[in-house]
Amino acid sequence: MKVRNFIEDVGGASRVTKRRQAVYDKASNTPKPFDPIGDTAKKLHPGFIDLTVTSVRQSGKDARTIRFTADHLPYFKAGQFMTLRMKIGDSIVTRPYSISSAPYETRGEAPFIEITVRRPRKDGFAADWLYDNVKEGDTFTGEAGLGEFCHEPLRDADRIMALAGGSGITPFVSMAKEIRNGKMKADLTILYGSRNEEEIILKEELEECICDHVRVIHVLSEPEEGWTGETGFLTKELIGKYTQGDTSYFICGPQVMYAYMLKQLEEMNVPKRRIRCEVFGQAADITKDTSYPSEIKDSVFDLRVEQGTASQVIPARADESIAAALERAGIVIHTRCRSGACGICRIKVLSGRYHVRTENDGRRAADKEFNYVHACAAYPLSDLTVKINIPMQ
Amino acid sequence: MNNQKFFDERYDVIVIGGALAGLASALTLASKGKKVLVLEQHNLPGGVATSFVRSGVEIEGTLHEMMSIGPKESPLKIRKFFDEMGVDIEWLRVPDAYRFVDGKKKTDVLVHPGTHGNFETPAFEIAQACGDSDGSVFHAILELLQLCHRVYNSVNVLSVTHMSKARMLIEHPDFVRTAGYSAKEVIDTFHLPDTAVDILSAYWIYVGDVIDNLPFTVWAVLMADYLGYGSYVPAKFSHEMSLKMAERAMEMGCQAEFGIRVDKILAENGHVKGVRLMNGEEIQSDYVICSAYPDKAYTSMIEPLSEVPDGALKFVNAKTVGVSCFSVVMLLDQSPEELGIHDYSTFYAPHGMDLNTIFEEYATEGPYNYITSICTNLANPNASPKGTCIYSITALPRPEGWFGVNEENYEEMKQKNAEYFIRMESERLGVSLKDHILEIVIETPVTISHYTGAYQGSVYGYMHTMDDHIVARLQMSEAENYIHGLAFAGAHQISGDGMGPAVTNGRKAAKIILDMMEEAQG
Repeated sequence: MKVRNFIEDVGGASRVTKRRQAVYDKASNTPKPFDPIGDTAKKLHPGFIDLTVTSVRQSGKDARTIRFTADHLPYFKAGQFMTLRMKIGDSIVTRPYSISSAPYETRGEAPFIEITVRRPRKDGFAADWLYDNVKEGDTFTGEAGLGEFCHEPLRDADRIMALAGGSGITPFVSMAKEIRNGKMKADLTILYGSRNEEEIILKEELEECICDHVRVIHVLSEPEEGWTGETGFLTKELIGKYTQGDTSYFICGPQVMYAYMLKQLEEMNVPKRRIRCEVFGQAADITKDTSYPSEIKDSVFDLRVEQGTASQVIPARADESIAAALERAGIVIHTRCRSGACGICRIKVLSGRYHVRTENDGRRAADKEFNYVHACAAYPLSDLTVKINIPMQ
Repeated sequence: MNNQKFFDERYDVIVIGGALAGLASALTLASKGKKVLVLEQHNLPGGVATSFVRSGVEIEGTLHEMMSIGPKESPLKIRKFFDEMGVDIEWLRVPDAYRFVDGKKKTDVLVHPGTHGNFETPAFEIAQACGDSDGSVFHAILELLQLCHRVYNSVNVLSVTHMSKARMLIEHPDFVRTAGYSAKEVIDTFHLPDTAVDILSAYWIYVGDVIDNLPFTVWAVLMADYLGYGSYVPAKFSHEMSLKMAERAMEMGCQAEFGIRVDKILAENGHVKGVRLMNGEEIQSDYVICSAYPDKAYTSMIEPLSEVPDGALKFVNAKTVGVSCFSVVMLLDQSPEELGIHDYSTFYAPHGMDLNTIFEEYATEGPYNYITSICTNLANPNASPKGTCIYSITALPRPEGWFGVNEENYEEMKQKNAEYFIRMESERLGVSLKDHILEIVIETPVTISHYTGAYQGSVYGYMHTMDDHIVARLQMSEAENYIHGLAFAGAHQISGDGMGPAVTNGRKAAKIILDMMEEAQG
């Protein structure tokens, strides 16, 4: 082997070393911490931010819209959610809420971000607390711009049909506002199912959005006399009536709605890639899940929680997720979607048995092999020992 | 609750960063009985060697081919390390090396790797694509690849054995004689047709500068490993590898904590003495392995900054930060066969292989005209549900092209490039990918920065160039431990970028620390 000649070839190593040394000798010794990409990443994803409530307004019979501001509100995409961390009694809970304001409203002179909460009809202790207690001037920490329930032009059709039920209207209000303001290029038809007119939330906001590219069709299942609009449920006939050409269907509403809507769309032969579902939370009653051993449903187990070198034992009800048990005990667990999907609350089960509902199992294959679970979607079936992250915030 | 103590007061070694390099360090140190604390800012191990789940489907997060694995019965360096450490990963062999498509010269060739260091198959396939009529091109390529192999074998010996220059010249003559040259200078001596050089250059961007400024040594190692032995992927995606390394480290007694960000590396009188976390808590250790780029460590992490010597600042200022990544990762609604996708990985240069032009384009905000696409299912048929497949399109832009990105224009830049890629690949494949997308995730330099904290969103450390030659790096390495007790692990270290080199870099960092410990004990 010869590249040039023997002398030049064998001298190569010392030649490149001298060359490198020369570059070093010439280099500046001034520190230059320059990372504009890192700066942008931090602005787009600041993590927990301090939020201050600037107003609370009634936006429906049992609905309140809460407006927050912060030093710097990150951009989000219409349809995404945010979380709030709340101290309720001895518990520290984090809950997700779809953002009902538009992305463009996080900019300008008086930037804000809004969520709309509804007083839950069943056991919804955090939402109840927020609905009843939140007032102007309150402060929270939270994360904004989370979730995948948003229009992606490269994947979705330009036409969106929103299939909304109850408080599931909130992400679509955000989309409608953004389209109305010319900031989002899509055509939106909202089919919004409510029991009666009084139950419609964010009605005025929706009306203000109606334009060439935004239509709102209220569908009432129990209309009062004199209602001339659509009635019944969001059936395939009704969806067909308002569908025009290639359309992406976005579903958001109470949990029971998803299976029904998916069946309607399947019967309409809508391809899978044209259907988007918001994550739908946990089972209302996990003990009714098919493979759940119902004989243990009233048990309270010992949950040993290891964090770094520390360890403590707390009670864990069989019918509540591990995340809920941690929250009750005042142990901070970082959660976002509360649906088992996002994986931020990933923890390791060191011993004991647990239940994960198939619909809420968003785990990675290797994680399953090593008994990692998403705490918001895993339920104790015996005494358990878990390792969770050390809290930093 | 607040009185709980989560850490011991002191550890033998604190490893900042639980990606492949940091975990390889931790495994090595734990295997020597050291008390190790690993602190990872993300809630998962692995850094970019990871996966994500969309609509219940797990999707690979990287290009995820692993080099230096080899078959079970004759393991190569990285598989051997995992075997020694008791990290048991299910490896699947990638069937092809790559397909190379040059839209300008109309070159289109599928190259398969050899086995056990035999290069006849790839040499033959490349020669055929050049219209080799008398076998002369085949022989020239074969000779070149065999030279690469000898250099590769030497590097593997020399990276763990110290020897005199004279002995090196006798035992590793080809390594010594090619060390001073660029890949181009050595390749030129084989008088190959241009097309053969183009095909052999396909991997170039994965190692460093264009081939006239890329050290031959680095290129040779890559070619020998990929074309002589083939690459492998973990059956349960990169997360399998990352998780199994982390799990094994913990089994061996390491404390590994996730979601913990280190703010400062504490130093005093030229020695490391511990770290401070974002919440102000301090943990003591005389030894720290840092996965953050030295740029970051020396300009904002060392406390006080007066402990950073001038040499360290010159060191980082002299370096060129390597490429980042722009990836469009899709879950498609048909099988690869139905979509007419037949190759695991394809390098595509629609406008030809003028490397300087491609490289200049990579320094802009795009669009980019040199891409690698991967169909995960062709190496791992169970990678996604039946009737679907995972397809990714990647370019490796340099960070400077993204310096102008801000909150306001980010989405637009992302969309513009992704759309360009999808259109380009759709044209090449003759199928409209846009009509098959079930899920799409776009990864950018900003995404990398967000999840890993990597300086300038770079995944490839410092660029391998003739000014920063790997042989020079090796020769000068001892003098570059600027603060006693501090070592670095990551793509920014001697072996450079890639998942295999990351493991090697991590082992090297552990060795530096172990040597320091031994020295301290006298």
